[in-house]
Amino acid sequence: MLSDFGIILLFILAAIVLIMVVLGASRLLRPNRPNEEKLTTYESGEEPLGNANVQFNVRFYVVALVFVLFEVELIFLFPWAVVFGNVDLIEQTDGRWGWFALAEMLVFVGMLTLGLAYAWRKGYLDWVRPTPQVPHTPSPVPPALYEQLNEKYAPKVKVP
Amino acid sequence: MSPTLSLFYFLSFLTVLSALMVVFARSPIHSVLYLILTFFCLSGHYILLNAQFLAAVNIIVYAGAIMVLFLFVIMFLNMKKEDEESKTNLTKVAAVIVAGTLGVILVGAFRKSQVGTYNPYAHDSQVGMVESLGHMLFREYLLPFELISILFLVAMTGAIMLGKREVGERHF
Amino acid sequence: MYPIVLLSVLGIVVLFLGFMKSKSVLLPATLLFLVLALASNFIDWNQGKVLYFYEMLAVNNLTLAFNAIVLVSAFMIVAMTRGFQDQEEAQPAEYYGIMLFSLVGAFMIIGYEHLIMLFVGIEILSVSMYILTGSDKSNLRSNEAALKYFLMGAFATGIMLFGIALLYGATGSFNLTDIQSYVSIQGRGVSYILYAGLLLLLIGMLFKVSAAPFHFWTPDVYDGAPTIFTTFMSTIVKTAGFAAIFRLLSHSFTPIYSFWWITLAAITVLTLLVGNIIAVYQNSFKRMLAYSSISHAGYLLIAVTSLSPQTENAILFYSLAYSIATISAFGVLMLVSKKKALEGQVDESYAAFNGLAAQNPLLAFVLAVSMLSLAGIPLTAGFWGKFFVFGSAVERGLVWMLVVAVLMSAVGIYYYFRAIIAAYLKEGDIGKIRIAPFYRIILVVATAMTILFGLAPGIFEKLL
Repeated sequence: MLSDFGIILLFILAAIVLIMVVLGASRLLRPNRPNEEKLTTYESGEEPLGNANVQFNVRFYVVALVFVLFEVELIFLFPWAVVFGNVDLIEQTDGRWGWFALAEMLVFVGMLTLGLAYAWRKGYLDWVRPTPQVPHTPSPVPPALYEQLNEKYAPKVKVP
Repeated sequence: MSPTLSLFYFLSFLTVLSALMVVFARSPIHSVLYLILTFFCLSGHYILLNAQFLAAVNIIVYAGAIMVLFLFVIMFLNMKKEDEESKTNLTKVAAVIVAGTLGVILVGAFRKSQVGTYNPYAHDSQVGMVESLGHMLFREYLLPFELISILFLVAMTGAIMLGKREVGERHF
Repeated sequence: MYPIVLLSVLGIVVLFLGFMKSKSVLLPATLLFLVLALASNFIDWNQGKVLYFYEMLAVNNLTLAFNAIVLVSAFMIVAMTRGFQDQEEAQPAEYYGIMLFSLVGAFMIIGYEHLIMLFVGIEILSVSMYILTGSDKSNLRSNEAALKYFLMGAFATGIMLFGIALLYGATGSFNLTDIQSYVSIQGRGVSYILYAGLLLLLIGMLFKVSAAPFHFWTPDVYDGAPTIFTTFMSTIVKTAGFAAIFRLLSHSFTPIYSFWWITLAAITVLTLLVGNIIAVYQNSFKRMLAYSSISHAGYLLIAVTSLSPQTENAILFYSLAYSIATISAFGVLMLVSKKKALEGQVDESYAAFNGLAAQNPLLAFVLAVSMLSLAGIPLTAGFWGKFFVFGSAVERGLVWMLVVAVLMSAVGIYYYFRAIIAAYLKEGDIGKIRIAPFYRIILVVATAMTILFGLAPGIFEKLL
């Protein structure tokens, strides 16, 4: 007899075996004629440029870090959700347990929400949009003077 | 040997092997992949210990999220240059001696100490379940649980403060 | 208990105050919050031992006194920041917020009754310190220090956690009182796992207070961090760390004193030797103070090792004397190094103090008193600190350790006096340094406290 975990183990084993069978079968069946084009990295038809190992912008990391924090917070919600509506506990405490547990979680989530609000207000979640820059050279000379000069030295077209 | 015991030995062997490969792998990316394998093996151990929630959390948080952070860090560093860090032989020998001594002491302590025996009648099979975890976490461990949110807040503030782009800083 | 809750909330308030237009409200607000926390700290005064939250946190007069020392030091340090007005890139709201949060961690490890509180507290304190160390982002040395501190600190935390797990494996409890009853019932027949666990836990904690041979991070980190945060680290982390070590050993592990005292004695002697002898060879004043903080960890360890009835008082008094003297020394260093700064590079060598007394008699006097106190010269608080520590060692009969300590104090006089000699006897071209009024008050108060406790150490005992 298999326990529930035995079935899960069988699943894992079956997955591994299946992948090996599929890959092995295709290896046996396919023709093997590599060329330069086939061996390059597939980037949706684009010509791959340089190495994939480039330095990331540090902002991605901060977003990832904030994500991990909230993920851990989410993990804490699981055991809470299980005991929050526990009938025995609520009866034992005349219904106070529910409020108590709710308040606990509100404090915890509230703290992290404040953190998120802080990050938001700090402008950390707005991505920088590229602003097109119009080239502009500051000059003390007003444009009208240039116009005058242009007119003065413009090649006089002699009318024959 | 019962199947559980043989599974335990197999898992332990795999855990130690992949943990060693983390250290010995040449490429840092390979190290990270072996680390993921180690985490999966540890999750297997948790399941053997009847702590399924912990096993799931271990895979979601460590093998999932934290490893992504590790990969990020590796991508930050410029790994193209092959420079072996210069450690003198003296440092290596000293490190081996110190670590070896500590290892011998620990192994000696574990061998000589008595481990509590397992009583199948008094054993509560529910002890590793989410529900009993919730009972513990939200009553006895209330204060540390709430204060962990302060730890998260500090970490978040710090990440934002240190990661903030300064004027004139260059990227890529 | 109350300061933990209060500062957790007020830290967030400070963070959000940073969004206001005017940054000048931050400094007074933070100081006010610290005073509030100090006041709330004494609600539990003289209540005996009170346990909070399912025996997670213990409060008695000793923990409250440690809390008070930490709060007073924090108040002085925050007052010396002057709102970080002179730094363009500074983010004062974040700095103050993180400082307040780190105090929460400090209170947790001062009054923990459960090892999980110790762990979370140390994490809060350490993570805050890693961030503050690296806060000077444009400075490469600050970045390096933060990275070094973080990597080593994370490793030490891992070792500590392993120790806690082993302790749990041996005793079946995280609770200090339960562990204590297990140890006292078993006596020397305790499980060997307990020994291993205790050892690893102690290694982790000794790393945080920078005792040798776990001190290698200290000079680089103290040197690289912005001076104001170095002050914070060397006073508050050390005080709280020693409170935690003392609590662990005195509360839970007195029955197996004969096991751990040898280890601790070896570490103590090593710390004293390393701290004092390497400090002699330093040319940077800031780096010297880093090694001096290692040596003071050694003196405090003497008190912990001897574990006599006097120890409690000795550790309290010593941490207070050390904190005040360190704060005023770093306070003077910050002013002088800024004045002597060349092209943004601050000068933190001894030579920066040359001729300080000529134009700035107050600063020279403050420096001299703090150096005398750190060296343990009579009529300063530092002398009585050392006196109490040595007294508790005599009570335990650790005379050989005392001989080492006295010899090393003599070595200490050499490098502390170098600063005084530079300030009073050497020629230098240091101009008049302008001191902000509040800064001046803090320096004067710190010096006055050092001298007051030096003249009448009994006042302190009366206060308790």
